[in-house]
Amino acid sequence: MQKARLIHENPYVPKPYRVLDFHRETSDIFTLTADMKTMLAPGQFVQVSVPGFGECPISICSDSRNFIKLNIKEVGNVTKALSRLKKGDTILIRGPYGKGYPMEALKGNSIIMIGGGCGVAPLKGVIDYVENHRQDYKEVHLFLGYRTPSDIIFKRDVEEWKNKYKMSLTVDKSAHGEMCYDAKEGFITNALKSTNLTNENKIVFMCGPPVMMNYAVQILKQKGFHEDQIFISAERLMYCAMGICCHCMIRGKFTCIDGPVFRYDEIKDFKND
Amino acid sequence: MEILRQEKKRLFKFLNKLKSSYELVAPVKKDIVRFEKIENIPDIYLDKNSYFPIKEYFFKKNDVLFNFSGTKIIVPQLKSVSRVFFGLRKCDLNAIRHQDMVFMGQVQDPYYSAERKNSFLIGYHCNEAPSPYCFCNSLDLVDFFDLMFYDNGDYFLIEVGSEKGKFLVNKFKSFFSESDEKITQADKKIPGADRLEKKDISKLYDHPDWKKGVDLCLSCAACTTICPTCYCFEINDETLTKDAKQGSRKRIWSSCQVQEFTRVAGDYTFRKDREERFKHRIYHQLEYFKQKNGINLCVGCGRCIEGCPTRIDFVQIINEMDDGNAKSKTNS
Repeated sequence: MQKARLIHENPYVPKPYRVLDFHRETSDIFTLTADMKTMLAPGQFVQVSVPGFGECPISICSDSRNFIKLNIKEVGNVTKALSRLKKGDTILIRGPYGKGYPMEALKGNSIIMIGGGCGVAPLKGVIDYVENHRQDYKEVHLFLGYRTPSDIIFKRDVEEWKNKYKMSLTVDKSAHGEMCYDAKEGFITNALKSTNLTNENKIVFMCGPPVMMNYAVQILKQKGFHEDQIFISAERLMYCAMGICCHCMIRGKFTCIDGPVFRYDEIKDFKND
Repeated sequence: MEILRQEKKRLFKFLNKLKSSYELVAPVKKDIVRFEKIENIPDIYLDKNSYFPIKEYFFKKNDVLFNFSGTKIIVPQLKSVSRVFFGLRKCDLNAIRHQDMVFMGQVQDPYYSAERKNSFLIGYHCNEAPSPYCFCNSLDLVDFFDLMFYDNGDYFLIEVGSEKGKFLVNKFKSFFSESDEKITQADKKIPGADRLEKKDISKLYDHPDWKKGVDLCLSCAACTTICPTCYCFEINDETLTKDAKQGSRKRIWSSCQVQEFTRVAGDYTFRKDREERFKHRIYHQLEYFKQKNGINLCVGCGRCIEGCPTRIDFVQIINEMDDGNAKSKTNS
């Protein structure tokens, strides 16, 4: 009896969930659906475990109380082990953790989303949220950048988003000149630069490689955006996700409990620490 | 608080009595001074503070969080020995207080609190700074102990600091006698431990003087290992079988002074420069923790300076810094 209570209270122990779907997005990126029923804010993340390989933080890329979707890139030991999961398998998860995008507080604004590569995943959670609360937000403008056309994730959704929202899609390079989804060759930051934007009633959500985010912030500032209009989703090495282990600390702020979504003026010099 | 008295010649008997009821842990001198389980009372060494900190008894170097077999998780029964720690200095005691804030604050860490709840902390007051690197008076340390022994020549004055302390005194009544002497706040200050000048280092992040220390740093992580307050850890899986099905998830100490501390998958390191890592440690100790918990994490024991193979003295670096000189990058 006492042992069961301990397991329940132990914050390090993940709970088992069922894999509802495994969908391969690209050669090294896949999306898992797990039957985790939880309240969450877009931008939050969970710690996914594969016993024997370890644990890693994965952002939630859906907005539902009945399941969570996790978009995962095979880069490390855990993510490679996760790629071997099949529909019906058991997946170990603890969470959700962190502060997401402050959707409630930003009602009535237009939203600009800038995502690079895998960074599109947490933004997809936001897009799904906006979809479910469409009347609360004005225009939506998506800037999505990928390395090559074959790296584009959420292909099914991109087709839909193209019709519903303003969208600028870029690929860094295209080997054979092939293009799809009206993508343009070049960096997403260039697309951002050449777009006419005013900062009026607009907020910017951003997630992607640090280089991309730093440059995008520069461009936005030139266009007249204030730092408190920009929200970024930070990535750090993380173990506990509860603000103890300190690996994710950015100048005294924990990515896991104060973030991963930060208003830009909270962690200005985020590139090195 | 209640003040008691114990004749010095009775100390060994008292400790022997303690040893028969509890596991007694106190500093001993071997190759280094460190806290160990005491078998013979005369082994206890009180001339100098321990080199290796006390934290290893609560926040263990290697803790099994749980065992697994496939996706089945078995949490080990958390059993802890009832321990009495004797000979803890003011810095050690405050370090335990700070780690309590981390592991028994918003998150209840079951592994830490299991060890912590079953422990009695008996302090030993430093009549003078035991190391030339001490600077505990520069930081706002508080009274945090179950019992505190003050060396007063032929006898000890003992201050009772908690219910647990009262319990010990009642249990071993015959070793204590009443005393009407007073211990003032001035008595609690340790002579020769005020090295660090009070300075607002939040504005000094971009000061060029940090380089002085960084150029000598070997990134060996000795400072964080022997720091009594450093509490960073990582969690890794250890497997017993070839197919990685059986094994255990372990928590081990880690150090912000190595590059791997912030290396993410895809081989991107956020704090790649030694300077960033060195400053991160100092700022976590003297600034970041304060922002969250209202007190400095550092307790001023000076171990990180004494234990550094190149003797990087961050206290001296900060003292020599000129507040007016800093160019603040964050405000530009």
